[in-house]
Amino acid sequence: MLQVTNLKRSFKSGDTTVTAVNDISFTVPNGQFASIVGRSGSGKSTLLSLLGALDKPTSGSISVDGKDITKLHDHALIAYRCEKIGFIFQGYNLVPNLTAVENVMLPMEFAGLAKAQRLERALSLLKQVGFSDDQMDRKPGKLSGGQQQRVAIARALANKPKLILADEPTGNLDSTTGKMIFDLLHDLARSENTTIIAVTHDLEIAGKTDTTFRLDDGKLAKGSQKGKA
Amino acid sequence: MMAATLIKKELIMNVLTRGIRNAFRNVIRTFSLVVILGLSVGLSLAMLVAYQAVGKKIDSVKSSVGNTVSVSPAGVRGFEGGGNALTETQLMSVSKLAHVSSVTETLSDRLTTSNTNLVSAVEAGSLGQRNAGNSGQSFSFQGGGMPPGGAGDTIGNSNSTGTVTRTFTPPVTVVGTTNPSASAQGGTFTLKSGKTFASDSSDNVALLGTSLAAKNNLTVGSTFTAYGTTITVAGIFDSGSTFGNNQLIMPLKTVQTLSAQAGAITSATVNVDSITNVESVTTAAKKALGTAADVTNAAAQAETTIAPLENIQTISLYSLIGAVAAGAIIILLTMIMIVRERRREIGVLKAIGASNLKIMYQFMAEAITLTLLGSVVGIVIGVVAGNPITKLLVNNSTNSTTTQMGMRAGRSFERGAGRGFGGLQNSVTNIHGAVGWSIILYGLAAAIIIALVGSALASFFIAKIRPAEVMRAE
Ligand SMILES: Nc1ncnc2c1ncn2[C@@H]1O[C@H](COP(=O)(O)OP(=O)(O)OP(=O)(O)O)[C@@H](O)[C@H]1O
Ligand SMILES: [Mg+2]
Repeated sequence: MLQVTNLKRSFKSGDTTVTAVNDISFTVPNGQFASIVGRSGSGKSTLLSLLGALDKPTSGSISVDGKDITKLHDHALIAYRCEKIGFIFQGYNLVPNLTAVENVMLPMEFAGLAKAQRLERALSLLKQVGFSDDQMDRKPGKLSGGQQQRVAIARALANKPKLILADEPTGNLDSTTGKMIFDLLHDLARSENTTIIAVTHDLEIAGKTDTTFRLDDGKLAKGSQKGKA
Repeated sequence: MMAATLIKKELIMNVLTRGIRNAFRNVIRTFSLVVILGLSVGLSLAMLVAYQAVGKKIDSVKSSVGNTVSVSPAGVRGFEGGGNALTETQLMSVSKLAHVSSVTETLSDRLTTSNTNLVSAVEAGSLGQRNAGNSGQSFSFQGGGMPPGGAGDTIGNSNSTGTVTRTFTPPVTVVGTTNPSASAQGGTFTLKSGKTFASDSSDNVALLGTSLAAKNNLTVGSTFTAYGTTITVAGIFDSGSTFGNNQLIMPLKTVQTLSAQAGAITSATVNVDSITNVESVTTAAKKALGTAADVTNAAAQAETTIAPLENIQTISLYSLIGAVAAGAIIILLTMIMIVRERRREIGVLKAIGASNLKIMYQFMAEAITLTLLGSVVGIVIGVVAGNPITKLLVNNSTNSTTTQMGMRAGRSFERGAGRGFGGLQNSVTNIHGAVGWSIILYGLAAAIIIALVGSALASFFIAKIRPAEVMRAE
């Protein structure tokens, strides 16, 4: 269970203060697929980085399975990001001089998994996202955008996270590939019972998710949370 | 427990291997950086080589000059000139001066054919014959005919109807001394057999130069006659020079007594505790002895010789510091550039669970790889260029001063202080710089320190990168 209460994040630049996330509260049950929509600059990415403990809120709390992650110390924060969260970015953000397998192995290395286990899991994850054997040793530069995002999904799943945070994961892909990526995420979330929160501009995709949150100028638009069986 | 440490080791390996791999991510940049670093490390090593070689030379010049002050009676050098001998009382005042560690006193005398049965081991030759006319001593009269061995100096004699031929026989020099091992002229004293005598000895004993002993068939324990007295051979020495090996070294007191010159001293060497005090002791000794003595030291000449070397040493030290600093700055700026360039990647690493420390280690490994590569190139450059650069530096800055110095040295040249000083001029340019293992190790250690310092600031930037930045569009 992910519970967000009165979450607020403001940025000071000079005299002006921008409140990117303004007093947001919501809950997402475990294993649900939630989407966040909203205009550019409405605070979607800011909200996501707060949920992923990449950033600290100005006020409010985020509780994951009853534990307030905003009160964690640096060391525990790193462990939280490493073990509980999987990130997927719009720009894939793979390490360019590491092969697909090595990229997937990276989070497991930080989690302290032995090399043999890392390799085994990385290979099986890449197979799950539809990689053939000869593609696994390729570096990101020799993979298409869709293939790179598959590697990113495999990397996000590596440490069996409770929560996957995806910021416009299909933003750089054509709609067909984008849909395939989303379906893939959906299936994996189901099979691994992972909560997914994804930012998207694609309303068709958003419509397929369990819940959709609409952000408007840092605020959660009223009535945006819909229940789905 | 075992497994945990294994995993930990393996993690470090991964961080390191990633760092090393990252060093080759941009081949062109790595190549240029390695070349530039190589030049800076090479220059540093060459300068270190020059610094050490010149430093060694300065030390050897200093030690060859020694920390001594020469005292001789005014107007006398060896057997040339005139004036009165110094007295032991006068030298007592010198030995009491501050910073004087000891005084070696000598009384030089010559044995002539009339007071010894020793035969000189040196033939007169044409140079020796020049002395026959003007020395007034040590010549023998021969009735008619040419003397054997050498052209005679034939002069007319107004008192005689016949022709008197004077033949010069080189005299045997006697050195009465309080320190036999420091009294061999024209070289260094090496005792070949027997033993030396105490400084205050008054025994009728003598140390003979090897050739003098051989010429007269004398060995340790043999006796010969000098000053009409029987003298026992206490030892035989080698001075390394023909002149020195024709010498006789005897206790000062013995020579003073036998030659009827009680208390007389013809030269003294004052040993000063440190080379830095030579000048002040010289001044004090001059004051103590007044016009009775000539007090000189070789420190002034040595200073002139050392000055350009010290300049080179300073130049090479500054160049060394400059080159090391340049290398450090290059690697520092490169690492900052690389960190800025990989901002996003660092953010991603943080987002997927890497600690600051792990990322820093990775960048340090990269920096060390780059600097080590540069050092290898630099060591090659240093090995090849070290000696030529040293020679170039030394030649360029000593050439101009050598002629000028040669003149000065010539002017103040005198036996004793000037001894062996001529060779010093030649050896200044004879500096050999070489890259030794210690220098290579210094280089590698310096490279690692440079790399660590270089990545220190980069690490600061790494720590400052906020993981949330990965969410921002490029
Ligand atoms: N580090 C920051 N410093 C200052 N202002 C920031 C910072 N991060 C975000 N903002 C501001 O917060 C607001 C929300 O930004 P955010 O990136 O969350 O929007 P977004 O909904 O993700 O937009 P987009 O759809 O274009 O990605 C914007 O006005 C942005 O300028
Ligand atoms: Mg955004």
